[in-house]
Amino acid sequence: MEAILTDCVRNSLQQLMHRNAIFMCERLCAEFPSEKNMQLLASCYLQNNQAHCAYHILKGTHMPQCRYLFALSCFQMDLMNEAEAALSPNESSTEVPNGAAGHYLLGLVYRYTDRRQSAINHFNQALSLDPLLWAAYEELCILGAAEEATSVFDEGASLCIQKQYMHRGLASQSLHAPTEEHDIASTRILGTEDVSPRKLKHVHGNNLRDINGTTSNQPMNGGPTSLPFYNTPSPMAAQSQFSGVAPPPVCRNAQQNGPSMRTYGADNSPRVAVNSAVAGPRRKFVDEGKLRKVSERLFSDSGQRRSMRLAGESVSTNSNVSLVSGNGTSHSSKYLGASKSSSVASRSLTIRKGQSWASENADEGIHHDAYDDSRLNITSSSLSPSADNRSLEPEGATRSSSAIVLSSSRVIDGASDILGLLRLFGEGFRLSCLCRCQDALDIYVKLPQKHYSTGWVLSQVGKAYFEMVDYLEADRAFSLARIASPYSLEGMDIYSTVLYHLKEDMKLSYLAQELISTDRLAPQSWCAMGNCYSLQKDHETALKNFQRAVQLNSRFAYAHTLCGHEYVALEDFENGIKSYQSALRIDTRHYNAWYGLGMIYLRQEKFEFSEHHFRMAFLINPLSSVIMSYLGTALHALKRNNEALEMMERAVLADKKNPLPLYQKANILVSVGNLDGALAVLEELKEYAPCESSVYALMGSIYKRQNMYDKAMLHFGLALDLKPSATDVAAIKAAIEKLHVPDEIEDSL
Amino acid sequence: MAESSEGEEEGKLTGGNQQLVVDDDLREMGKKAAWSVSSCKPGNGVASLRDDNLDTYWQSDGAQPHLVNIQFQKKVKLQLVVVYVDFKLDESYTPSKVSIRAGDGFHNLKEIKAVELAKPTGWMYISLSGSDPRETFVNTFMLQIAVLSNHLNGRDTHVRQIKVYGPRPNPIPHQPFQFTSTEFITYSTLR
Repeated sequence: MEAILTDCVRNSLQQLMHRNAIFMCERLCAEFPSEKNMQLLASCYLQNNQAHCAYHILKGTHMPQCRYLFALSCFQMDLMNEAEAALSPNESSTEVPNGAAGHYLLGLVYRYTDRRQSAINHFNQALSLDPLLWAAYEELCILGAAEEATSVFDEGASLCIQKQYMHRGLASQSLHAPTEEHDIASTRILGTEDVSPRKLKHVHGNNLRDINGTTSNQPMNGGPTSLPFYNTPSPMAAQSQFSGVAPPPVCRNAQQNGPSMRTYGADNSPRVAVNSAVAGPRRKFVDEGKLRKVSERLFSDSGQRRSMRLAGESVSTNSNVSLVSGNGTSHSSKYLGASKSSSVASRSLTIRKGQSWASENADEGIHHDAYDDSRLNITSSSLSPSADNRSLEPEGATRSSSAIVLSSSRVIDGASDILGLLRLFGEGFRLSCLCRCQDALDIYVKLPQKHYSTGWVLSQVGKAYFEMVDYLEADRAFSLARIASPYSLEGMDIYSTVLYHLKEDMKLSYLAQELISTDRLAPQSWCAMGNCYSLQKDHETALKNFQRAVQLNSRFAYAHTLCGHEYVALEDFENGIKSYQSALRIDTRHYNAWYGLGMIYLRQEKFEFSEHHFRMAFLINPLSSVIMSYLGTALHALKRNNEALEMMERAVLADKKNPLPLYQKANILVSVGNLDGALAVLEELKEYAPCESSVYALMGSIYKRQNMYDKAMLHFGLALDLKPSATDVAAIKAAIEKLHVPDEIEDSL
Repeated sequence: MAESSEGEEEGKLTGGNQQLVVDDDLREMGKKAAWSVSSCKPGNGVASLRDDNLDTYWQSDGAQPHLVNIQFQKKVKLQLVVVYVDFKLDESYTPSKVSIRAGDGFHNLKEIKAVELAKPTGWMYISLSGSDPRETFVNTFMLQIAVLSNHLNGRDTHVRQIKVYGPRPNPIPHQPFQFTSTEFITYSTLR
């Protein structure tokens, strides 16, 4: 009876018949109370969005899957402490239930409770366990701590392989990897591999990287251990524990054993390159391992694993390939050739390792030509031999399922393809989170057309243009995104801001209406609506809309920032500060909120604070000319005029189309008394923006100071013609009155 | 409708829009002020003047002149006062002669504008600016709107809504002038 009920429940769940599932499952639990059945009931509740029910029934359970579901319900109910307690009862990462998913959830918990470092660690671990866990990589990017995509998505495979073969040591990437602080994050073997890729990629301080480096280093130190090294699960475990020790030794061993033909061996240099990037050789191993793992998993019935495995495979293959490429040109090419043929030729497990690497390397090579060849050479050579040797050995051991291996070739191919794609996506996303927008755009352009024209990519492209203050291009990209997936709300809040900047009220209201009718419960729709009202200067209604967005999802940082902007427009600075700070609490790298705080303090004349906040924004987004010009303004207010001028220069260089830095520069020059310099700048500005009344007004006031009344009169007149605001009209007219000129001047006003 | 001009002169205002339309560069300043009235009938107090509801009104309950006092915490620039009065609904309660005074407090209020309303039926705009461009704004702590007499010699008065407008501040702090062209405005803020 129990079995029948269980099947019935599973079927209902699959068919998404939640009520039926819940009812039957409750009968099941009443009849056969057990943790397993409780877990099933909880998953029914969670699928039906009843997290509170799941929370209550799972309280106190011990099975890992139960703990995971319990933590998930706590997370949805915002009970972070309990979620954390459930997920990490023994303080040891290996105890985190549900592997990668558990690490990911734990990472989220840490992120929302402000423990950035731990969050990063866990996301990295999640990624190492499951390289296809894109969400974890995304979170890392948002936290600003992601490693380069190539290293991440290479390792996956290797990690799998490692698990399979326990020889992560091969990843003996150079120990140099950890120049950056190593986050403990994914110690896994990938770590070593990551090190090399890291070098290849020249990425800074990604945790993965560091870990890889460390891990790789470790193996190296370990020296070639023989098979036992590979066979023991402990190294793996150790590795996963952020101790670079395990992996490096493994790698080392691999290398030392002489160039085995495993793919690593093929190109020591490539391998080394990988290591230097550290990822190189490791990757190969990882890939292999992954491939193996994937294949094995293919045959097991764990759905989740399967996808992960597949991902892993591709990742591994990709990583290998990339590793190869990274490594030194000579080696890589050699390697690639070898690997390719090998991989293609024999899918058998024995050769698989080499092959998988080969194919992976090939892929990698394609993707990552920029790798540090020199590095690779060094490391790969060392690694490959050992790696090869090592891999070969374990291979034999793990080779039992040759059948699996054979089918795994397909998996390997698929894996490499997926990994290749993920690499591009990941790199693009990472760069755009680091605000290196032009680079990100270059990467996205490399994607195949069918992926480029999906809503996600187009809205990322739009976002990149938005951050470069190129609103027209952003508009174009976003409208294509709307056409591609009209139901998707991702990034539409940014689109509404773009339209706000362009003052397209028709388009903006249309967008807002569409979004609300698509999904009334999404914060992005209300953000768009709020922007619409704000454009019409109805700040109170706009504020209400933004507050609604916040209520719908209090973890949506941009809604908080927009609330802050509206409060400032309403001159309610206290609440504005609170809103911006809430935004920052959710996402420290949200530079708009830092900018907003800087503006408030500038208004309140707290110039030190203002400068600090603008500087924080600048550190996060160093390419934005707007932030630079405001930082300059704050410096000017602090009387640090030289620095201010320097900053303005940089702003001018950063974006030629932005007239503001020039104007501010003129302001600063006026205040230091360099009137001629200011006039020169303003003349230049006049060419660029001939319809800007404030330029003429400022010129008029400068001429007045220089007692050139005619010119002053002329410019004031021009300024008035351009219809400035009422306050300025009054100010300009007052200035004209004060000109020591005969009364006829007054009439002209 | 005839606009009144300088403070001391009187001018008749008539007509009245049903829609409240103000320039973009003006914003309502009443929220930051403390509002009080010289007298009121229970249920028709000062809150009805600020509730954005044209059906509710303030009804005075004492001797003329009936006063509405608007006090700010710091000196503000004011440019426009708009009142909603309706002869068709209020007949003898409709204000006729209205005087607007400004100053630092009750002790030194000085009249800055006087208007006479002739059968108004909607929003009546009373500008506080002088003819001199330097007098576009009235910079003051307190504004007092005095109803000196009503239509048909009514004793008490009904006013349905009052709004007070001043200029918008420069959205970008520390700028001598505000920006007018799109290029400047686009680059002037991050959102």
